[in-house]
Amino acid sequence: MGKKRKHSEAEVTAPVKNDEGAPQRPERTLLGWKDKVEEKESDSTAFRNKEKVLVTCSRRINYRYRHLMMNVVSLLPHCKKDNKVESKESKGATLNELVELKGCSSCLFFECRKQKDLYLWMAKCPNGPSVKFLVNAVHTMEELKLTGNHLQGSRPLLTFSTNFDKDPHWKLLKEMIMQIFGTPKDQRKSKPYHDHVFVFSIVDDHIWFRNYQISVPHNEADKVDRGGLDKMTLVEVGPRFCLNPIKIFGGSFGGQTLYENPFYVSPNQIRALEKKQKAGKYAKKVKAKKRRKMHEISNPMEPDEFADMWKE
Amino acid sequence: MGILNKELVLSNKDTMNDDGEENPDVEVSESESEDEDVKLTERSKTSVYNRDGLLDKLGDISWPKNVEWRHKLSLDINQEQEVDVNDDLARELAFYTQALEGTRQAFVKFQSMQLPFLRPSDYYAEMVKTDSHMVKVKGRLLAEKRKIEEAEERRKARESKKIAKEVQAQKIKERAKQKKEEIESVKKWRQQRQQNGFEKDGEMGLAFEDGKTFEKSTKKRPGVGPADRSGGKANQGGWKGKKGGADGKKKSRDFKDSKFGFGGRKGLKKQNTAETTNDTRNFNKGNFSENKKRKR
Repeated sequence: MGKKRKHSEAEVTAPVKNDEGAPQRPERTLLGWKDKVEEKESDSTAFRNKEKVLVTCSRRINYRYRHLMMNVVSLLPHCKKDNKVESKESKGATLNELVELKGCSSCLFFECRKQKDLYLWMAKCPNGPSVKFLVNAVHTMEELKLTGNHLQGSRPLLTFSTNFDKDPHWKLLKEMIMQIFGTPKDQRKSKPYHDHVFVFSIVDDHIWFRNYQISVPHNEADKVDRGGLDKMTLVEVGPRFCLNPIKIFGGSFGGQTLYENPFYVSPNQIRALEKKQKAGKYAKKVKAKKRRKMHEISNPMEPDEFADMWKE
Repeated sequence: MGILNKELVLSNKDTMNDDGEENPDVEVSESESEDEDVKLTERSKTSVYNRDGLLDKLGDISWPKNVEWRHKLSLDINQEQEVDVNDDLARELAFYTQALEGTRQAFVKFQSMQLPFLRPSDYYAEMVKTDSHMVKVKGRLLAEKRKIEEAEERRKARESKKIAKEVQAQKIKERAKQKKEEIESVKKWRQQRQQNGFEKDGEMGLAFEDGKTFEKSTKKRPGVGPADRSGGKANQGGWKGKKGGADGKKKSRDFKDSKFGFGGRKGLKKQNTAETTNDTRNFNKGNFSENKKRKR
């Protein structure tokens, strides 16, 4: 606890911090790495990314979505996984309290309704904006077709497509994603080296997420071989999902609506419409028969001259 | 009003509309649960779009401008073409190229900063997928590879068999022709001799002058014993493997007819003749390391 307080004061400059961190973290097997790098931060109040994400889900979540949540937990070393929250508590105030209790600065809440639809809430707490997404096209890391693998906790490279800069709501989403999905530098559980890359791209007003492992032939840790950049291949690690933004709120899990997606149709409505279409099948058939009968009566056919040809 | 619009939109789903703007998009998600996302063509409801609020909040949460890139690690990649959502391959390719481009740029930056960013081959640490899972992945990949190879081999074997059959037929024809020619030539020579008045007492009476050369000898198969009513067909090889071949059924029917025609062979089912002594077809095939006690 004492160490935490010291860090939060952040008066210590970065190189000193690094030195006292190195012997106390036995998992880090790099011995000379920290000494080589000299961080030149002139002012004492250096920027420190202290992002912590709380990851929870609602009760009665589907197995596929639960696995997706577990995958996300394994991808973000700066997250804290918490127990399932009751459905009554998924409105606003209680979630905010939970996030504060855990000392986190943002939250990823997987809400599953009717065991069919997954909604993802991305919120910056305590008073930041929050977004509700509908999640589609879920493929988890356990699928055998996604063959890549990478270090657990290594910092990802985040790539965004340029359409994120076109509209203010996309810009806001980009900033939130960058802060939530990007692992803070020097995070306790993070590993060195960058061997995977996240792809966030907007296609058809949806945000598509992909995670690839980078494999490039190399001999040294800080230099790529001369032709290496061309021989780089990416293998998909997973998971995969597609986010459809529904609403952006000004507060965390509530507050003023800043943005509503005009093209969003809730899955319930889609299902209702489909059922309605199917429901009219019998009635339509009866109508069609009646129509045909009326038509035949009103336009009688001419007597066929060959009708009696084959009569005995 | 909104609902009415949506119904109209859905009824247009099946008809192909020519002008692209009015065409409703139906996205089919990839997952097994059939979520269909129907997009409305117009903003049917007054949707909130609070630009200033959004930009305000953006200002609130963003990090200071002078943050080093190493904290953010974010890259913006230009997506040149519009990608059709429903074309899976093109879409995945677009994502892949975006990632590739991003990584290249990032690596150039890292290299210029002279920071280690590539994992050395002796750095072993916990990976995000367990080793057992990777073994399964590997197994699956190998199985696929094996299937493909086997299919290739089977195809090749089939084709080569065809060719071999043709070649064989050719050879037989040729041999028959050769034989005929030779006999003809000797006959001619004989005739020549006779014509030239070659009177000798021992008319050799060559066997083939009867003109019966090309009748097949009635003695069908040399190794057939006298009590073998199947006429030698019982020992014809390969009736175990007649499973699905084109003449699978014919052969076995033939064989059975020849062996059991007219009420079947009553006795003498097992005989110790020369042929049966060396006939090991029904004995244990290879794989001697298998456990014989295991119920197969």
